[in-house]
Amino acid sequence: MLKESILYESVGELAKRIETKQLSPVELTEAYLERSQQLGPQLNAYARLMPVEALDQARAAEKDIHRGHYRGPLHGIPYAAKDLLAVKGVQTTWGAKPFAEQVFDYNATVIEHLKNVGAVLLGKAAMIELAGGLGYMYASASLQGETKNPWDTSCWTCGSSSGSGAIVAAGLAGFAIGTETWGSIVCPSAFCGVSGFRPTYGRVSRHGAMALSYSLDKIGPMARSAEDCTRIFAAIAGHDPLDRSTLAVDKAAFTFSPAADLKRHGLHVGWLSNAWKDYEPGVGKAIQAAHKILPRHFASVRDVALPEGPWEEAAGVILQAEVASSFGELVRSGRVKELHDPQGRVGGYVNLTVSGGDYTTAQRVREILQKKMDALFESYDVLATATLPAPATPLTMNLATGLAFPDPLGAIGNLCGLPALSVPCGFTEKNLPVGLQFVGRAGDDAAVLEAGQSFQRATQWHRKHPRLS
Amino acid sequence: MNESKEQKINRREFARKAALLSAVMVPAGLAFEGPAAAATDEQLPEGAEKLSAEGRVEAEARFQQIMSQYGSRFDSEEQKRVRDGCYSLEGSLERLRAFHLENGDAPAVYLKPLLEREKKPQSAPAAGAAPAAAAKKP
Repeated sequence: MLKESILYESVGELAKRIETKQLSPVELTEAYLERSQQLGPQLNAYARLMPVEALDQARAAEKDIHRGHYRGPLHGIPYAAKDLLAVKGVQTTWGAKPFAEQVFDYNATVIEHLKNVGAVLLGKAAMIELAGGLGYMYASASLQGETKNPWDTSCWTCGSSSGSGAIVAAGLAGFAIGTETWGSIVCPSAFCGVSGFRPTYGRVSRHGAMALSYSLDKIGPMARSAEDCTRIFAAIAGHDPLDRSTLAVDKAAFTFSPAADLKRHGLHVGWLSNAWKDYEPGVGKAIQAAHKILPRHFASVRDVALPEGPWEEAAGVILQAEVASSFGELVRSGRVKELHDPQGRVGGYVNLTVSGGDYTTAQRVREILQKKMDALFESYDVLATATLPAPATPLTMNLATGLAFPDPLGAIGNLCGLPALSVPCGFTEKNLPVGLQFVGRAGDDAAVLEAGQSFQRATQWHRKHPRLS
Repeated sequence: MNESKEQKINRREFARKAALLSAVMVPAGLAFEGPAAAATDEQLPEGAEKLSAEGRVEAEARFQQIMSQYGSRFDSEEQKRVRDGCYSLEGSLERLRAFHLENGDAPAVYLKPLLEREKKPQSAPAAGAAPAAAAKKP
């Protein structure tokens, strides 16, 4: 039986053990499966575990490695994929009752990429129904029920990549894949105290992923460190002819190279002065402490303000109009009534009324914003602030009022397709994690990942884990 | 006073305008469930007073359009949520439309024509060989 501490090791550490044959992928998979079977249901973390398939993949990985065919740092590493990624022959529910029996006969490109590098798919992670695109008021807005935060099971993980956050935080897998349209990777990463990376729009193929908002959806890793995110991103990034929104071959691909990281030390940080109106006290303290240590590890840290404008409004209108298309039929047919959340059951009707003119106006505002943000990145490599101004919220909270604060950075980052990384930077007095967010220029994912690695070389917050029994 | 006409619209006038507009906006063929009652003071969502008079009329018309088509699907609590959503959307639209745009400010999403070479990657013809397509031409 493997020690719990091994199950919390980073992908880099596990990979070293596997490459040197000190750790068997089968043994590792068995240990994660056992822990997932024990703790997964308590947390509502999984939509489905796939023990038979996972063990088959682990045995194949072990065989390859023993033959000398080691494929790299993800070979033999067990992971979970958000349940909106198609896995051939396995139910892919999108977290929603109307799609509970849905099965695809192909793999999402991300799943294929991870299969090709030898990663082991343990199961599908629970998620908010339809990634929250029709709106939701409660953490329970999921086919699996509310996902509980491993740091405090009376609190939520945030959404919509709820299960992915819980799985990584609870040491149920080596890493997980999440998706973000507006906050769905960085928010659960902050609430769960894990490192989560939202890549530049178009760097990771969405073929085989549930489409919520065609011009906003992104796929990215959630893991135990920024370095792990970098390794996983390198495996899943790349142009895909099956997803025409992916960038060209030379702009989409990403190569993990520790040597290249060293060249990037000396990043210029813009510390955002107007991203959040107020912090909850525990969050403010942790963020101030993070702010203090940044100058020691970065070339410069200067205050900067986000441009002001109707960015949240533009993001909201684009999201609503695109969801009116992606899930219009579900709404018009009345099957939307099968959704769990009371807001999800009605929100789609309002989306149907957004006009083409208003959608296009929002897209015009978006273009102006993109230029403003690109100009801002002439002076800074990354922008930094708290991922969220509040820690994990109680499971029963009405989110429409309890988590309703302005989020200009979330709107801007997602409207402009900017890469972002949330890393743990401390805890509140109630021992709930706090996240620090780095946001970079479109295409400069490397700067964001390097910023996270620099921060984690100087801190140990990402090595803290919840006590679970 | 310029603000007087816009701001002084009373609730009765607002409800009348909303009912009229909703009748115009919903095509006859779609209005199979009939409009819902216009909003009473109590039914107006919080923050409705921040909208312009036209915005309130448009929000109410949006709500009436939904009720005309799908009204029988909602209980009173759900109707309230739909109305709240319509007013909330209207607030966003007012702020969005107030942003100054020049005629030449194009949208962020452009058509990416599907070129033939993207669909079928072709290997380069061998040196000296005539392209197969050319051979077919007269």
